[in-house]
Amino acid sequence: MRRAVGSVPLLLMLFFIGHAKETRYSPPGKPKLTSCRSPEKETFTCWWEPGSDGGLPTTYALYYRKENSDAVYECPDYHTAGENSCFFNKNDTSIWVNYNITVVATNALGSNFSDPVDVDVVYIVQPHTPENVTVTVMEDKDGPFLRVSWEPPRKADTRSGWITLIYELRVKLEGEEEWEEHRAGQQKMFNIFSLRSGGMYLVQVRCKPDHGFWSEWSSTTYIKVPDYFPRETSVWILIAVFSAFIFFILTWILNLKSNSVKHCLLPPVPGPKIKGFDKQLLKNGRSEEVFSALVVPGFPPTTSSDCEDLLVEYLEVYTPEEQELILEEGKDLQEGCLKSKGSPSDSDSGRGSCDSHTLLMEKCGEGEGKEEKHQERAQKGKRQQKHQTGWEEGDVSHTREDVLSPDMSEGRVKTWPSVFSPLPQYSSRPLDHQGSLETARQLCLSDSLFPPPSTSSHLSYNAKEGLALGSGQQEFYLGKKQTHPSNPQSQPRWHLQAHSDFNISSMDRKQAASGLQLPGFRSTEYVEVQRVNQEDMVILQPLFSSSCQRDGHLQIGQGEDYSKVKGVDSGNMLLLQREVEVKREEEDGDRYSCDIQDRVTESCYTTSTAASSQVTGKPTSCAGTAMPVQEEMVLAANGYVDAATMLL
Amino acid sequence: MFSLPVWVAVLALVYLDFPIRVGTAAICAHGQECHAPSLADLFDRVIQQSSRVHGISSELHSDYEQYFFPSKNHIGKRKCHTYSILTPADKENAQRLGREELTEVILRLLGAWGDPLSQLHRSMTQDQNQDFNHYSSNKALEMSDMVHELRSGVTKVAEKMKLLGVISNALGYMSSPESLAPSSVSSSYERGDFNSIDHHDLLYCFRRDSNKVKNYLRILKCTTLPELDC
Repeated sequence: MRRAVGSVPLLLMLFFIGHAKETRYSPPGKPKLTSCRSPEKETFTCWWEPGSDGGLPTTYALYYRKENSDAVYECPDYHTAGENSCFFNKNDTSIWVNYNITVVATNALGSNFSDPVDVDVVYIVQPHTPENVTVTVMEDKDGPFLRVSWEPPRKADTRSGWITLIYELRVKLEGEEEWEEHRAGQQKMFNIFSLRSGGMYLVQVRCKPDHGFWSEWSSTTYIKVPDYFPRETSVWILIAVFSAFIFFILTWILNLKSNSVKHCLLPPVPGPKIKGFDKQLLKNGRSEEVFSALVVPGFPPTTSSDCEDLLVEYLEVYTPEEQELILEEGKDLQEGCLKSKGSPSDSDSGRGSCDSHTLLMEKCGEGEGKEEKHQERAQKGKRQQKHQTGWEEGDVSHTREDVLSPDMSEGRVKTWPSVFSPLPQYSSRPLDHQGSLETARQLCLSDSLFPPPSTSSHLSYNAKEGLALGSGQQEFYLGKKQTHPSNPQSQPRWHLQAHSDFNISSMDRKQAASGLQLPGFRSTEYVEVQRVNQEDMVILQPLFSSSCQRDGHLQIGQGEDYSKVKGVDSGNMLLLQREVEVKREEEDGDRYSCDIQDRVTESCYTTSTAASSQVTGKPTSCAGTAMPVQEEMVLAANGYVDAATMLL
Repeated sequence: MFSLPVWVAVLALVYLDFPIRVGTAAICAHGQECHAPSLADLFDRVIQQSSRVHGISSELHSDYEQYFFPSKNHIGKRKCHTYSILTPADKENAQRLGREELTEVILRLLGAWGDPLSQLHRSMTQDQNQDFNHYSSNKALEMSDMVHELRSGVTKVAEKMKLLGVISNALGYMSSPESLAPSSVSSSYERGDFNSIDHHDLLYCFRRDSNKVKNYLRILKCTTLPELDC
């Protein structure tokens, strides 16, 4: 039957060939079987591709042979599966059987066979897409997740176990390009975690038999994830806040300790520490102004630049039990103060020549302050004297220890033999010492110089020292108190008041107001300060003697006077001798002027301490408390030299 | 006593929490109540095994096709030696067969392939063609062993099913599986000279039969134990 059918087209082709040689008709081209597929392993379909039809209507036929059988069958159904297809229904489908399929194209001119294809249905299974894909959002303790569930394609019989499918799904965020694929195996449900909050997801599922082809992807299912707060983000936020807090705390601490940190990291560069030095001026480039600022008025001392002033620093008179008058002049205050009288108890190096009886006289230029050491000071004894520093004139910050340590306790009385006479007027003047070169004159009066009762020549000293912790300024002022103002004959007390302000640490010493009571003076000659001339020179005169006024001369009336300067020994001690006349000493000279007027001086006086020399003298006329010069010298040497300048 | 490394190892094992896989096979100690694996477990094992067998056979077959028969036009007169075993060729026939017959078919098939696979392996090793044979012979050996195991497994499944009353005892194929093999095939096997074409045909046939076995087992499972997996 088939052969008869097959021969008809051949006849037709021969007919057409004979008739239409000039036309371009040709036998059909070779068809080609493209694919055969079975969706459920129960039926299958084959598709072919037709070749050229040759310009003539062409028919196609599919023929197949089964395995181990020579019977050729034609396709039972050309239409169910569409054009150029052949559908094999269940009855015609055998599994595990090899089909040999061929397609034949036939037109009037001929036919053409395609290449045969062997097909075993079990290996061409391609199921339909999974169905009923549902995606739901479910909550978990870690956050929401997607649950995707689906069903196998309707026709695939998985329930009987005839076909076994494995599934696969893919997910992506809306707008992304890459899909995230997951294998689900044979299960029909799958969970997706780690979702973005508020994102829109697309889900698709497909399936495959264990040996076969993948199905198509199912239609996209859209799902929106609700907004939630992911736990990881909250942890990070907590960490960030904590770190910020720590950072601010550290910054604040660093700010507080910025100075110490700066000090540690960038140690300050020491700058110039010159007093009065103005850095700003220097920066501005005006050197003249800078250096002019450094100039200290008063230094170098231009006024009263007598040599005398420099020389005479202090005059220390002391008498031992013989009441000798010792004058000491010290150029250097410090040295003078260092010297002790040699008294056994005089162990203080800082003591000036006036162990309780030195008069401090200030420099004329700055005014003087005389400081008399009162005997009380002697009594104070142990007190270490800083306040004696009144002596120390000149040194601003000089800490003189026990300058004026009274040594009276030893019984050594140092007196000023009538060195001082009450001055008519002498007002204390506070003196400001400025500069470092201030020197103070010291006059030490010994108590023994003055007899207590005869106060005519009683000199009381009122040395008051106000020690203040100042800026290093010494204030000396000389004060005189007249104790007997009404008595012309009486000698006004001359009080020396010295105020010194020292920038001394040992300021605690108070200087007791030294009312220097002068004890009785057995035989004395008193020297009194007559006056202080305008040049701030203390003029001394013997009390008893007639007034003699002679600058530079010391004239003693009846008594002896030690006004004559013998000379200056090597120890810088001014040696006085009993002379009627005293001649001028050093450059600045000792000038004496005596007031002949009824001065009852019980002590002879010697004045003038050269700054560079020591005056040691013994009052001869004064009550015989003459001491050998050597002794004085010794004493002077042991003690200190007060750089007290005395101006006459 | 125990050295330090031993203790360290013990502690490491304890604290590292090694996952210990508990197999479905119970380890019965003396006097303990022993739980044999369930039918579902047995089915799962044999199905996995059959799936593996099929996979290996497919690989071998495709290797042979690439090396020796690039053109697909080769159509040999292929006749598998198990063609005499009637097997259901579609779902209806398979479901109509019933469990006992299905089990029997499975066992027949597996029994029919024991020897041929061994001979295939032997033939492959003897072939001095190239390294391909060496690689393939290992697979053939593995395949042969697995088929033996599969057969014993399916036997156990059948016994279990009989035990459970699922199938009757009307089957007698278990006694002599060797008699199931068709004589023509066994005669050709006895000749012992296989060539490459024979290899290829053999592999083709076995691939198909392993697929049948796998499929029949699944049907058996799903009809005997309808579960979610089916």
